[in-house]
Amino acid sequence: MNNEQGRKERLDRGIKVRTDGLYAIMSLRELCYLTVPRLVLIVGLLILPLVMPSMYWQRVISIVCIYAFLALGFDFLAHFVGLVCLGGAFFIGVGGYLAAILNTSFGFPPLVTIPIATLLGGAICTLLLLPCLPLRGVYFAIVTLMYPLVLMRIIEALNILGGTDGIMGVASFANRWIEQYFVILMVLLFLFGLRRLVNLDIGLVFRAVKDNDQAVRASGMNISFYKAIAVFVASALGCLGGACLVHIYMWSGISLFALDFSILPIAATVIGGAGTVVGPVLGCFILVPISELLRAFGTLRIVFYCLILVAFIVFRSEGIMVYGQRKYHQFERWVKI
Amino acid sequence: MLEATGLMVFYENMLALNNVSISCENNQIVGVFGANSAGKSTLMYTLSGIMEDIKKKEDMAGRERITVLGAIKYLGKDIMGLKPSQRARQGIILCPERRRIFPESTVLENLRIGGYLASPPQKKESLEYVFRIFPALEKIKKRVGGFLSGGEQQMLAIGRALMAQPRLLLLDEPLLGLSPLIQVLLVRSVKEIRDERGVSIIVTEQYARPVLPIVDYAFILENGANTGGAIGQP
Repeated sequence: MNNEQGRKERLDRGIKVRTDGLYAIMSLRELCYLTVPRLVLIVGLLILPLVMPSMYWQRVISIVCIYAFLALGFDFLAHFVGLVCLGGAFFIGVGGYLAAILNTSFGFPPLVTIPIATLLGGAICTLLLLPCLPLRGVYFAIVTLMYPLVLMRIIEALNILGGTDGIMGVASFANRWIEQYFVILMVLLFLFGLRRLVNLDIGLVFRAVKDNDQAVRASGMNISFYKAIAVFVASALGCLGGACLVHIYMWSGISLFALDFSILPIAATVIGGAGTVVGPVLGCFILVPISELLRAFGTLRIVFYCLILVAFIVFRSEGIMVYGQRKYHQFERWVKI
Repeated sequence: MLEATGLMVFYENMLALNNVSISCENNQIVGVFGANSAGKSTLMYTLSGIMEDIKKKEDMAGRERITVLGAIKYLGKDIMGLKPSQRARQGIILCPERRRIFPESTVLENLRIGGYLASPPQKKESLEYVFRIFPALEKIKKRVGGFLSGGEQQMLAIGRALMAQPRLLLLDEPLLGLSPLIQVLLVRSVKEIRDERGVSIIVTEQYARPVLPIVDYAFILENGANTGGAIGQP
């Protein structure tokens, strides 16, 4: 059709409109429309460890989930609260060292150390980041980027917490199935939890802080308080990842502060679709296995990795989930003008 | 000078401009009047080409799809597909709504940014001209843009647009939120600019009365459509 007369129209599918309202549970078809995408994700994640060919790939799944915690936290902070966080390594490090200390010095089993490390680590990270919360701009990003470097050097220079050797002899999970399903269930729990959270009233406040913090202040709310809550949620997620990681590797060292943990979640968010919460998780499930597959190319893998990222940013900067949701909920047709 | 025919702009499925045709002859001041949501700003963005930029950004982020249809002829040539920067080089300069001055640069710096494309003698000449029609600006030329009052900011925005050597100046709501006294002053300056610089001007406004004395003729927009009502003779 001629471009002069035609225009591609984008409309919500009828079923999408119906399921938005009261009719969501009126028929099986509408119920399926709502639940099938979520069930595919849940069931897919749950059977993933069973279909993996080797222990090596099962371990990869666990690592993917660790990155998924960080990506969830990053997406939440960046696109719902407006804080760009480069501190994935900081959260991983704090959570990891806490879990390792609790386990080796106090003898707590993993299922006790992980919750404590999560909550305590989240509190510590929030406390350390508190001074830069009232500020707007790049300060939060810079501070979160600096902390892991600082902590790494402190541990190295003062030779505390095992120094460069790290803390060895951390207890592992009872067996690998418990390890796998623990992290997968945690990812699902926090994925749906965060989606719920951002749609609650407090989620509205978070988004308002992102859009216009002055207006939020003028409405009588303390933005630092709300930012602190958000940072606590995100850093607790990161610390949970760190604690799991330490128990998976049975070792905690300064490589927990590696820059990978800060950068890869951001890349996953770009690929998966920013602001969708589920997108970053999918992004991790694409990126981490790719980087494992590319190990065969040695150091060249970084090049391939970067090429994939650049291609995504140039050609599909909206991300997979935003694209997918649009295709699922809307249809297009040519209309005459 | 400028002739736009059958302009249609869709924001996704919402029709923002419906078959709007406007024209502006050499050395004329043309008014475009309409209430909020009549499509005045959309029209200005479309004429200046900013719409192409917005469209691209929305596309990249996978948000709203903007469709622009119609034809814009400027000095006898079709400029529909041109980027805003190319249109600015040809002399179509937009003075945007809510001024959009650079808040962290001083008044003088703001003006010099506007004159980036001009040659040094042109720059010098138009700087003097801006300070002549807006003497208030010369006294505060070292002050930072963000701390100026609304009227001073608007003068600065018009001055910045003048520095870019416009042949067609698009003023988007230049009187927004200003006191009647400043409005009168600004309207007088706009007429002066037309008379002395030979610039064609398209000015949009919600409240027609202050601008009405100086326009050669005016279009009225309503809900994105040209009502056909025009004031004066084209």
